[in-house]
Amino acid sequence: MKKIMLSLAACLWLGNALPAAAADKKTVLLDWFVNPDHGPLFVALERGYFREAGLDVEFKGPADPNDPPKLVAAGKADLAISYQPQLHMQADRDLPLVRVATLVATPLNSLVVLKDGPVKQIGDLKGRTVGFSVGGFEDAMLGAMLEKHGLSLKDVKLVNVNFSLSPALVSGKVDAVIGAYRNFELNQLDILKKPGRAFYVEEEGVPAYDELIVVANRKDIAKPQIAAFVGALERGVQFLVNHPDESWSLFIKERKELNDELNKRAWRDTLPRFALRPAALDRKRYEAFAAFLKKQGLIEKTPALETFAVELE
Amino acid sequence: MTSPAASVASPSPPPGVSVRDARLSYGDTLLFDGLALDLAPGRWTCLLGPSGVGKTTLLRLIAGLEQGADGQATCGDGLPAHGRVAYMAQQDLLLPWLTLRENLVLGSRLRGDRTRETEARADGLLQEIGLGDSGSLFPRACSGGMRQRAALARTLMDRRPIVLMDEPFSALDAITRLQLQDVAARLLADCTVLLVTHDPLEALRLGHDIVVMTGRPATLGAPIRPPASPPRPADDPTLIGEHARLLGELARAGEESARR
Amino acid sequence: MNGYLGSRALVRPIIVFAGLLAGWQAIVWASGVPPYILPGPAAVVAAFRKGADLIAQNAGTTIVEIVAGFAIGAAVGAVSALAMSYLRPARRWLLPVLVVSQAVPVFALAPVLTLWLGYGLESKIAMAVLIIYFPVTAAFYDGLRRTEPGWMDLAHVMNASRWAELRHIRLPAALPALGSGLRVAAAVAPIGAVVGEWVGSSAGLGYLMLHANARVQTDLMFAALFVLAIIGCVFYFTVDSAVRRLVPWQAESHPEEEFR
Repeated sequence: MKKIMLSLAACLWLGNALPAAAADKKTVLLDWFVNPDHGPLFVALERGYFREAGLDVEFKGPADPNDPPKLVAAGKADLAISYQPQLHMQADRDLPLVRVATLVATPLNSLVVLKDGPVKQIGDLKGRTVGFSVGGFEDAMLGAMLEKHGLSLKDVKLVNVNFSLSPALVSGKVDAVIGAYRNFELNQLDILKKPGRAFYVEEEGVPAYDELIVVANRKDIAKPQIAAFVGALERGVQFLVNHPDESWSLFIKERKELNDELNKRAWRDTLPRFALRPAALDRKRYEAFAAFLKKQGLIEKTPALETFAVELE
Repeated sequence: MTSPAASVASPSPPPGVSVRDARLSYGDTLLFDGLALDLAPGRWTCLLGPSGVGKTTLLRLIAGLEQGADGQATCGDGLPAHGRVAYMAQQDLLLPWLTLRENLVLGSRLRGDRTRETEARADGLLQEIGLGDSGSLFPRACSGGMRQRAALARTLMDRRPIVLMDEPFSALDAITRLQLQDVAARLLADCTVLLVTHDPLEALRLGHDIVVMTGRPATLGAPIRPPASPPRPADDPTLIGEHARLLGELARAGEESARR
Repeated sequence: MNGYLGSRALVRPIIVFAGLLAGWQAIVWASGVPPYILPGPAAVVAAFRKGADLIAQNAGTTIVEIVAGFAIGAAVGAVSALAMSYLRPARRWLLPVLVVSQAVPVFALAPVLTLWLGYGLESKIAMAVLIIYFPVTAAFYDGLRRTEPGWMDLAHVMNASRWAELRHIRLPAALPALGSGLRVAAAVAPIGAVVGEWVGSSAGLGYLMLHANARVQTDLMFAALFVLAIIGCVFYFTVDSAVRRLVPWQAESHPEEEFR
């Protein structure tokens, strides 16, 4: 009995004596399968920036992109990569989520048509079919774009094509798709030899927003590990901007299946869009976007910004 | 009104049936070879033997139902047997989705030659066989005895001159069995009947000729012709001695096959 | 025991249902799970009231997909089974198709079907057909193959044509098996319809559930899910009742205990 107590005491003492050596395990849920949008994260991972910040980060991909924020809100994961428009809706539904960093600082979403298709300008969409994947706000964005050109959602037929955007467009089953990422789907269409043409949402009546952000549970934001994570992310972006080719090698190092033409081209197109200062928060932009969503009827209230988006010190 | 059963036989006299060179084997077991059997026209022939000896197969050969056996079954008048045979098995084979009356007219249904006369004959037969009030019942609502009666009536419906019955009453209780034996004997008086049975008493009651089939490979004994016309009463003293002899013969055959 | 609306028969499921609701609310209270993961029954009812029109409209679309898919799938399956049991080339070619249709998960085929048939009702109906093709065909084919041999013997002796044998004996005899297949089909047809909607649609309960989920309207999603479950149950019991009427002669092992 004495022996057991002694060894237990020894373990406890050892455990307390080595806090720095044992890294903090953090689960980060990605919004989608690993793709070039996650560049800085994997650069930071491969360069050891998370480890140096005392974090043992594990990235997990979801089955359904709508799940990660919910799981963070429920306390089942530490951080999630999510979307700013989604965040506003989640805040409206009182999910305890807070944006702590920005990953991609521009919209990636666009309205895409086939270059030699019948739609040459947005006005041509009247009476046509538009495919979308269920993001929850794509119809609102489309509505704003149509309004700018004198049309409304009633003038088009919306069809949910569940992320199968390029095939739907290429097969001619829809005349346009919304929810296509300008760095991804456009390249995909090029590779399929059916080049597309994009109308960028922020140029057509939708206020600018951050496509990809990092969210945490409200009760965690004061924890030093969150600030440490954001710090490591910033170092990742920094390295990526300075060494883009080496960063690509780091990205595909443990993920050989991503070394294909599509990802290469997407990588190149995403580079200028990463947030150079991930922690920084543009209050005015967020408030303007909230007002836009409220006008479109997607959210009922606009809570104070600090409750769902902060700039960590 | 004349009983429909009275005209149960077809207008011309029923033919006799001759089976020659019957042969059957299952795998490497030879059941019988070179068998010859004669069914006398207009008379009842009872084929008596222990279970498994091959009597059902011989009957099915005559019915044209046995693909695996060799042998010819020809009729005395030179015409083929097929189309002139009625068949009754140990199970009643009543279709559960049809009423008793509809089961009776199954043959006409299948051939598409149903007429008003068919319906009338069916009703008459039901009456004759004691099921006059039960025509609209479904088989599931009837007792085993009732169902076998219905099967017997069905066998009579098509007025076929050759009737082949495979242990038709063995699943019934003793009293019902005796009753149905009498009814069958009466209604099938003008047909050439082959009755396969393992019960010597039944053979003695009903058969003009009794042929015993025993052994492996099976052989047929010479026909036994008891006196008096069937149906013979069960308590007829002349039968008792014959009954005991037949039982002994069957028992001996049973012992031999058990030893093998 | 007079049909589904006998009051005694309804009491038990209502009690079970109420119990489940109470249990659900208790779990929500006790575990403190947030409403955007699992809303309580009260929230779901509120969402149902608020979105009643939306739910009803989309329910209509899904119902049409289920019923049409079931009807077409059942018809195609029945015809396939008949073809396979009578034509050897059909058997050779359809059997592998049958097995593949079951082995390949519908999730994998859904995008292809949707691209090919479009985003309207056709692709969802095709999905439902695909998912029930195997149960219906396999069950009916089995039933057709396993007709009681005694009945076939009877038909042969009665000079029935192949067509008459099919129509009067094999088909009715195989109806219980077809009924089993139809019951399974009724249970899984809704799955085909909803999976089809998930892959590409602009209406239907599956589509509504996706939309609600994306907008973090979990209570609406559950309300739609509930309605879908009820539709599935009602559809199943309707088909079950119809099958019973189709096959009244099928004996139940415990007729007194069965749920009516």
